[in-house]
Amino acid sequence: MGSLFRSEKVTLCQLFLQSEAAYNCVSELGEIGLVQFRDLNPDVNAFQRKFVNEVRRCDEMERKLRFLEKEIKKDEIPMLDTGDNPEAPQPREMIDLEATFEKLENEMKEVNANAEALKRNFLELTELKHILRKTQVFFEEAASNGPMTEESVNLLSDEGLTQGGQQALRLGFVAGVILRERIPAFERMLWRACRGNVFLRRAEIEIPLEDPVTGDQVNKSVFIIFFQGEQLKQRVKKICEGFRATLYPCPETQAERREMAIGVMTRIEDLNTVLSQTQDHRHRVLVAAAKNIKVWFNKVRKIKAIYHTLNMFNLDVTQKCLISECWCPVDDLDRIQAALRRGTERSGSSVPSILNRMTTKQEPPTYNKTNKLTGAFQGLIDAYGVATYREVNPAPFAIITFPFLFAIMFGDTGHGIIMFLFGLWMVVKEKSLGASKSDNEIWNTFFGGRYLIMMMGLFSIYTGLIYNDIFSKSMNIFGSSWNADIAYPGDMGNNVEKLMLAKTYRLNPNSTNWSKEPYPFGMDPAWQFATNKLMYVNSFKMKMSVTIGVMQMMFGVILSLFNHVHFGNYLNIYAEFIPQIIFLAFIFLYLVVIIIAKWIYFDPITMNTNCAPALLIGFINMFMFNYPNKDASPTPPCSSLTWYDGQQVIQTLLVVCALICAPWMLLVKPIILRQRSRQVKTHVAVKSITVTEPINGDAVDSDQEVIHHDESTRLEAEVEVEEEFEFGDIFIHQVIHTIEYCLGCISNTASYLRLWALSLAHAELSEVLWNMVFRIGLGIDGWLGAIMVPVVFAPWACLTIAILLLMEGLSAFLHTLRLHWVEFDNKFYSGSGYLFTPFSFDDIMDVPSGLGDD
Amino acid sequence: MNSVNFNINFGYLEGLCRGFKGGILKQTDYINLVQCEILEDLKLHLQSTDYGSFLANEPSPLSVSVIDDKLKEKLVIEFQHMRIHSVEPLSTFLDFITYGYMIDNIILLITGTLHQRDIRELIPKCHPLGSFEQMEAIHIANTPAELYNAVLVDTPLAPYFMDCISEQDLDEMNIEIIRNTLYKAYLEDFYKFCSTIGGSTTEVMCEALAFEADRRAFIITINSFGTELTKDDRAKLYPRCGKLHPDGLAKLAQADEYEQVKVVADYYGEYKPLFDGAGTGPGEKTLEDRFFEKEVKIMMSAFMQQFHFGVFYAYLKLKEQECRNIIWISECVAQKHKAKIDSYIPIF
Repeated sequence: MGSLFRSEKVTLCQLFLQSEAAYNCVSELGEIGLVQFRDLNPDVNAFQRKFVNEVRRCDEMERKLRFLEKEIKKDEIPMLDTGDNPEAPQPREMIDLEATFEKLENEMKEVNANAEALKRNFLELTELKHILRKTQVFFEEAASNGPMTEESVNLLSDEGLTQGGQQALRLGFVAGVILRERIPAFERMLWRACRGNVFLRRAEIEIPLEDPVTGDQVNKSVFIIFFQGEQLKQRVKKICEGFRATLYPCPETQAERREMAIGVMTRIEDLNTVLSQTQDHRHRVLVAAAKNIKVWFNKVRKIKAIYHTLNMFNLDVTQKCLISECWCPVDDLDRIQAALRRGTERSGSSVPSILNRMTTKQEPPTYNKTNKLTGAFQGLIDAYGVATYREVNPAPFAIITFPFLFAIMFGDTGHGIIMFLFGLWMVVKEKSLGASKSDNEIWNTFFGGRYLIMMMGLFSIYTGLIYNDIFSKSMNIFGSSWNADIAYPGDMGNNVEKLMLAKTYRLNPNSTNWSKEPYPFGMDPAWQFATNKLMYVNSFKMKMSVTIGVMQMMFGVILSLFNHVHFGNYLNIYAEFIPQIIFLAFIFLYLVVIIIAKWIYFDPITMNTNCAPALLIGFINMFMFNYPNKDASPTPPCSSLTWYDGQQVIQTLLVVCALICAPWMLLVKPIILRQRSRQVKTHVAVKSITVTEPINGDAVDSDQEVIHHDESTRLEAEVEVEEEFEFGDIFIHQVIHTIEYCLGCISNTASYLRLWALSLAHAELSEVLWNMVFRIGLGIDGWLGAIMVPVVFAPWACLTIAILLLMEGLSAFLHTLRLHWVEFDNKFYSGSGYLFTPFSFDDIMDVPSGLGDD
Repeated sequence: MNSVNFNINFGYLEGLCRGFKGGILKQTDYINLVQCEILEDLKLHLQSTDYGSFLANEPSPLSVSVIDDKLKEKLVIEFQHMRIHSVEPLSTFLDFITYGYMIDNIILLITGTLHQRDIRELIPKCHPLGSFEQMEAIHIANTPAELYNAVLVDTPLAPYFMDCISEQDLDEMNIEIIRNTLYKAYLEDFYKFCSTIGGSTTEVMCEALAFEADRRAFIITINSFGTELTKDDRAKLYPRCGKLHPDGLAKLAQADEYEQVKVVADYYGEYKPLFDGAGTGPGEKTLEDRFFEKEVKIMMSAFMQQFHFGVFYAYLKLKEQECRNIIWISECVAQKHKAKIDSYIPIF
């Protein structure tokens, strides 16, 4: 927790890297992923940076790899993902890689070109085959149907064609293949362009053909057009060309056609063998490439990332070394130094790389070291706002409070067990599930929050036991302490069974039914059948919500003290923290105290519960300074009277103190700040000299100052801006802050009542589901019941999972999130920092997995 | 159509279009682009803009035509996406926009066949937004009547073609006349359609189309000097939906030289500044560029109003201008001819 409580100490460092060692050093830093580099040339275009050529070469390599990957995917060859992490290759290896990719790409392109040519050939032959087959049908049809209409005989029969002289009719024809969707327009155009003087027959090719270029399956149709004369022929051909129809020579006589068909068939068979050989070759090449492609991708990405980082560096005057600035966590400086040493050794450079800590006025990034469990919670907090540097981090507390508040709303042991098992399954199967990178966003969010889900399930089991709810039923583990004195025939030994048979029963602790012994753990199962169950449960849950809420808010305010102390902001302690805590404690903590006092002191054994104080009325009266007189007439109900000595004095004091806190919060801070600024103004001349002097006179890091000349001037400007004091701004800010806090305390306390509301809704919903669905099956006797129970179990189980676990779970999750973000965090958390984003190869390799959400 | 119900049918697309508009290159991008030394630099810079990795899969070395194709492809994909998701009357509106490109394609193909060019090499030069099914069979037509009867009768351009059927052959002159007659009919029809939609659409689109019509009238007049086109014929080509109609057009019809055109423009506040200082000399901007600049301004102002279709038209026009700019810069970079690289027309 120590490391999570505040973010890591991060310092700005300057790195001096020998130009020959820079590549290896950055590569080593990328492997450990602890350094966030700053861009030192933000004004320089991407294409004017130093290592732009190397980046470009990497782009080119990536392009080739993508091309290969596309081909591999097209052939559905599994890509081997060994999961091993190759080291970034040396710059000289880049040439080898480039050569390899170049060779592979060329080989692939050649194979593709060959395959395409072959496929085109194959397509043409297939089309020709279909043409011959279909036209055969046309001609045969024409021959058989010939006698029916003279015209068609003349037009279509072989006779008509061969003995064209008969009616001075010499018909020509062309046959071809066209895309099926183009036929209607094609026909219309033919008709119009040739003025109806052509005759077109068509037939569909049933099997879709493969387009040689795209590899898609396309539907085509065979057509044959008859026409007369050379002019029309030209025209028809032009139209065919325009519609991208392929024309094939088709012999006029049947014998020739048959001969040609046989020829085509043999050629197709030859082509098939060649094609399969080409495919085999292609497959072999791709399988070889598929083995390495992931590793290659990783290597190229690493090189590219390194050069991108190097592009952010500055060259020093002598061109001998590269200078960079980076944020590093102070605790890990040793590891970074070690990495730099390794990098220098690898490059064989004799001059070591230098890491130099710098002082800066800039806000360092927020870096929280997380592990698998805390990561999910940190993610929830970061989604609201990244903590300001070194601010108290709410995440470690959320690890407990988050599942706990969730469980209060989701309190059911049965549902909790299911949720816990689901979370546990994900945690246990973590490795194998994580390895199969799923694209399903919903699944990824669940998986990302697996520890959260497991914890929430665990806590729900606990609260479920407290509420004594398991799928809306209660368990009688320790034996109920209620005794039913109902006259019922037969000797019923068990109290609970008696109560159950009575159907409805009102439990009254003042009666003799109660054994005066509390149930050892959680709620007494007898309440399950009582008509006044809701009244009892509501009162309990409502008070519990307020208690827990006030505790959490108090804790938040106390955390703000840690922030003030850490940042040395002592003004805030006595101008904000103290009045805040007084305001909260004197009103709301007092409320909690009297709630608990009422629980302890007013029980039916020792006191008359009718005279237990009415908290709500008492609380209102406390603010009205209105205390009913015991002797007044009509006599006020004894519940509204004071119930301990000195109550009136104490309560009046509390209210007055709390009310004083409001102007205290409002006025003290602006007034003191104003006085301070007046004092400063009188010394302004002296101070401006003292501010600039150390910067110019700092001889230790003189080169550092030269490089950052522009930055230091910018910082000076910032310092001066801070000095300008706007009383109006600060005062208005303080007004808003005060109003927000005072009203916030009231509304936030009310807001915590959602714990009660959601928990009530959950309990009622699961009870309704049981009564309306599962009870039907249980209510039937005999063998029919044996059948009905499993039958109704299915819908009951489905609805339980869908509504109670998923929907209710999600809703409880969101409400918990809100309670943390709004009610808890606004007491101390400013969340105005920015995230530490180290240069790390792991981030580049993996697509970051989903945030820890439910 | 009113603003209240607009978002039910068109809100998504308008939002999408405005989002696309946000990706249009800014002045700073252009400043970076003109500093490029080679086309690879250009590619690298465009990667950091909304274009993203649109050139990532192109093997080096790049050529300007590849960039051009890819730019067009991206624009067409965006436009088609909006067209597919649109409902009436927006779909008709978007179709109307494509008709302009269809006219250009038809003219390109006819001119190409006239010069005995193979149709296969012409097709890739056509704008993909204006392609239609019968397009490739256009070379069967030898006369305008044939062109109409065989090819255009099934296309939406058929009604516009009515006025041109009387022309005898397809020669250069006639093709130009056909183009302008088609364009005139198209603009007037589009103008009429936009006026029926009502609301801001009418307001914005009529302004844009009026400008387009006037620009054509000016350009036709200036280009006709020294050709055998008679003044009467010329007058027939002017689209009659602009601000010049009717007085300005009548005066333009009488013009004999550039100065007279300028005198006509002087009567109109919005066109006067365009002619002032326009020229071909060094340091001067051509009239064409002046018109482009004015168009960009009008199109930008279309985005000032909400709940209308003008944004789709304006987006397309702005994006076209951007493509022209990028192509201009890439040409300059490719030919190492940097003297005139700055004469692109910035949009923002």
